[in-house]
Amino acid sequence: MIKNKSTYILGIESSCDDTSASVICNGKILSNVVANQEIHAKYGGVVPELASRAHQQNIVPVIQQAIQQANIDKKDLNAIAFTRGPGLMGSLLVGTSFAKSLSLALNIPLIAVNHMQGHVLAHFIEDENQQKPPFPFLCLTISGGHTQIVKISDYFTMEVLGETLDDAVGEAYDKSAKILGLPYPGGPLVDKYARLGNPKAYKFTKPKVDGLNFSFSGLKTAILYFLQKQVKENPVFIEENLNDICASIQHTIVEILFDKIKLAVKETGIKHVAIAGGVSANSEIRKVLKETESKYGWTTYIPKFEFTTDNAAMIAIVGYLKFINNKYDTNKTSATARLKVNES
Amino acid sequence: MTKNYTLDELPKIASEVIKNAKNNVLLFYGSMGVGKTTLIKEIVKQLGVADNVSSPTFSLVNEYHTKNNEKVFHFDFYRINDEEEALDMGVEEYFYSNSWCLVEWPNKVENLLPLNAVTITITANENQLRTIELSNNE
Repeated sequence: MIKNKSTYILGIESSCDDTSASVICNGKILSNVVANQEIHAKYGGVVPELASRAHQQNIVPVIQQAIQQANIDKKDLNAIAFTRGPGLMGSLLVGTSFAKSLSLALNIPLIAVNHMQGHVLAHFIEDENQQKPPFPFLCLTISGGHTQIVKISDYFTMEVLGETLDDAVGEAYDKSAKILGLPYPGGPLVDKYARLGNPKAYKFTKPKVDGLNFSFSGLKTAILYFLQKQVKENPVFIEENLNDICASIQHTIVEILFDKIKLAVKETGIKHVAIAGGVSANSEIRKVLKETESKYGWTTYIPKFEFTTDNAAMIAIVGYLKFINNKYDTNKTSATARLKVNES
Repeated sequence: MTKNYTLDELPKIASEVIKNAKNNVLLFYGSMGVGKTTLIKEIVKQLGVADNVSSPTFSLVNEYHTKNNEKVFHFDFYRINDEEEALDMGVEEYFYSNSWCLVEWPNKVENLLPLNAVTITITANENQLRTIELSNNE
């Protein structure tokens, strides 16, 4: 039920490193600002990499810019949506307090959003070039901090079918890169070199994990031992074989992911498969996912890159979906560091 | 306390760490892949946490709840570049909260660590064997 012709929602995201604000109108993005160097250049000031102090410095200019870019007045807003969790407590508190204050000042509803639901529901941002998945569908959420397979039955009914028992997939990439002497975060570099190498050059054993859960920490140790042994024989082994090593690591990681997602499709009979999260920018993951369409008859959904990393547009879209379904929160709602995907 | 252990002996080692530690803040030193997170998972389980314990490298801190609703904090400062970043996330509030704090890569925040925290060093030997060294700094 849409209450106004145009429903404007402001989304605020501050769960980890980046401060972000977005305005959407009827599910369509009008602005999506993520605090970065550009903002700092515009407003002056330093760029502390992390933490709540950075959010405190960023939140006002970021929200101002999001509202300006959307070409609206803050009085046009119908509701404020913000990330309630999961995330870093200090960082969440900044967004939560600001969202509460603004909703009170403008006298409009407050909507708390689960960050993990945001990743999944980013697929419902209105875009003529993007197809929306039908319910039920499966979503593989992969990022620096998360790896999970989620079954989505409707906008607000989600179930984790499997998740990582140790390292997240983005972390597996970054730490493998570190072992290879690449700078942190080196995941994208592994992807880059892997494209030039032979994925079958070296074989790393895949972990044996029951069900739909993942494990990546054993792979890290396996790579470490393998390289230690090789470097003993040839001190420039890594430099000489970097592309092949990266390709083999990437091949193993992607296989671990797809072994489980294939099993999830088999167990649920659901053939609509989406990916979400920052690591969904990885070229091999995209390629292999796309191949499943002709190979197994799946329909796959890959979000635009800007909606995969932490951003407020995905918070705003959840806010919009909740708004049109009359799911509001009160000022009593509080930030929480722990929040499962099925909680709100 | 100094002990050698294999993966199978993790439960025993974890319970000895809990028994021998005289402070709630445990600092885990050791190179990448040596098994810090793996040992912490076992310790957290024995402290009565039923949640899945995963690596907090990206999130910096994971919060777990025990059956008695006590909090256990699991830190990873691996990706921190400057101690000020840890101060900004309120690390002192966690360290002095009297809750269990299990800390990976404590060397990144050396000046912020409580002086009486327990130091645990894990090293890898031949044949997948690990050595653990625990010292109380009273």
